[in-house]
Amino acid sequence: MNCQRFETMVSELARGQMMAAEQRTEALAHSDACDDCAARLGDEQMLTLGLQSLASEMESLEAPREIEAKLLEAFRARTVVVPITKRQSHSRYWLAAIAAMLLIAISVVVFRWSNRQGDEPRQAANQDKRQEQPQPAVSNKSNEQLAHDVEKPSVDYLFPQPAKPKRIRPVSLRRPNNASVANHATKEIATDFIPLSYMSAASLQQEGGQIIRVQLPRSALANFGLPVNMDRYNEKVKADVLYGVDGMARAIRFVQ
Amino acid sequence: MKLKSDVNDNDLLRLMLAGDEEALAALYRRRQGSVYRFALQMSGSRSIAEDVTQEVFLFLMREGHVFDDSKGTVGAFLLGVTRVHVRRRLRAEHRLEPLGDESEDDDLFMQSATDVCPLEDLTRAETIESVRKAVLSLPPKYREVVVLCELQDVSYGETAEILGCAIGTVRSRLHRGRALLLAKLRPAEDVEETSSASVKSARCFA
Repeated sequence: MNCQRFETMVSELARGQMMAAEQRTEALAHSDACDDCAARLGDEQMLTLGLQSLASEMESLEAPREIEAKLLEAFRARTVVVPITKRQSHSRYWLAAIAAMLLIAISVVVFRWSNRQGDEPRQAANQDKRQEQPQPAVSNKSNEQLAHDVEKPSVDYLFPQPAKPKRIRPVSLRRPNNASVANHATKEIATDFIPLSYMSAASLQQEGGQIIRVQLPRSALANFGLPVNMDRYNEKVKADVLYGVDGMARAIRFVQ
Repeated sequence: MKLKSDVNDNDLLRLMLAGDEEALAALYRRRQGSVYRFALQMSGSRSIAEDVTQEVFLFLMREGHVFDDSKGTVGAFLLGVTRVHVRRRLRAEHRLEPLGDESEDDDLFMQSATDVCPLEDLTRAETIESVRKAVLSLPPKYREVVVLCELQDVSYGETAEILGCAIGTVRSRLHRGRALLLAKLRPAEDVEETSSASVKSARCFA
C-alpha cells in the first residue's frame, strides 16, 4: 500500500467503518511505516473523537414542549381530512343524481313537445274554420252600397256555407326547421320499452339493435299488464319490437 | 389494544393522516429529536431549529400523503424535509453562504479557525465548542453530509436518499468535509507544514 491508497481510506479507518480485514491490516501496517500517514490517521481519529463528543453532547437536545402542544392544537383545528376514495364516491353520487335529473327534464320536454305536435293539426283545423267564418270586411265600398248591404243582409249570413274540406298543409310547412324527430314521434304516443328478457333498461340502451314495427292483437296489451279497451278488443295495436344484434327480440313498446 | 409506541412509523403516519391525534403525538415524540438536532446543527440557531421543527411536522400533517415508503423511511423523509426548510430559512436570513466552487473550498481549507490546536490542548468542552463552530463554518453541501453521517449517525444510503444524490457523492463529500474540518481545527503553523507536505506528496504521487 502507498500513501495515495492510504489517503482514500483513512477516513473510513478512523471512523471504524466496515472494510475488508486485509485492507485494514495493510493500512495499519502502512501507517506504522510512514510517519506522515501515521500523523494523518492520528488527526482523523482525533477529529472522529471530537465529532463523537459533539454528537453525544447534543444527543439529549430536544425541541421545546410547547411545540408539541402547538402542533396538537393545529391538528385539532384543521379541517377534517376526508380520504380521497370517499370524496370520489361522493362525487360519483352527485354525478348520478345530476344525470338522473337531466334525463327526467329531457324526457318531460320531449313528451310535452310531442303532445304539442299532435295537437297542432287540430289547432290548424280550428284556425281554418275561424278563417272561413264571415269577418267584418274592411272594404272600399261606398256609403250607398253599405246601406244596401244593411237593408239586404247577406245570404251567407242566413245560410252559412258548409265548411270547406280541411286543407292539409305539407308537413314541411307545419314543422319548425330545426325539428329532427322521426315522423312517428310527432303523432304517436308510445310506452317505454318493456324488456322481454332479464335485461335492465340501461343495458338495452347500451346494446343497441334494430326496431321493427308490428301489429299485434289488442289482447297482447294485457300480457304486459297494460289496460285493454274492451270496446276495441278485436282491433289490432301497433308495437315496436327491439331486436338485439343477435336477432333476438329484446324489448317491446306499444304505440298509439 | 396495541400501544402507539409499538406501531411503526409508516402506520403512525397513516393513522395520523386518517385523523388520529395520538398517532401524531407518538410520531412527533419519536422523531422530533433528530429533526430538531439536525436543524440546530445545520443552522446553529435554536430559534430557527424550533421554527423548522414545527414547520416540518405541520408539513407532515398537510402533505404527509406524498410520502412513499418504497423510496425510504419516514425518518429519512422527515430529515429531507428538514433540510429543505433549513436551507430556505437560512437563505431568507442570508445566513447560508452560496455554494462555492472548488477554489473557494481550497481557501477555506487553508483557513484556520483557531490559533491553538484544540485537538491537543483544550479541554473537552472547548474542543466540542471548536468542533461545533468548525462544522457550522463548513460550506452547506459538506456541512449537511458531516452532520448526517457524523453527528446524526445516518448511514450512507439514507444520507443519499435525504440529499437526493448517489452514495459515492456522499462518501466523497464526507471525505472532503472532514479534511476541511481538520484544516480549520489545526493551528496556523501546522497548516503551512501540511501545505508543503501536501505539495511534496503530490509530487511523490505524480
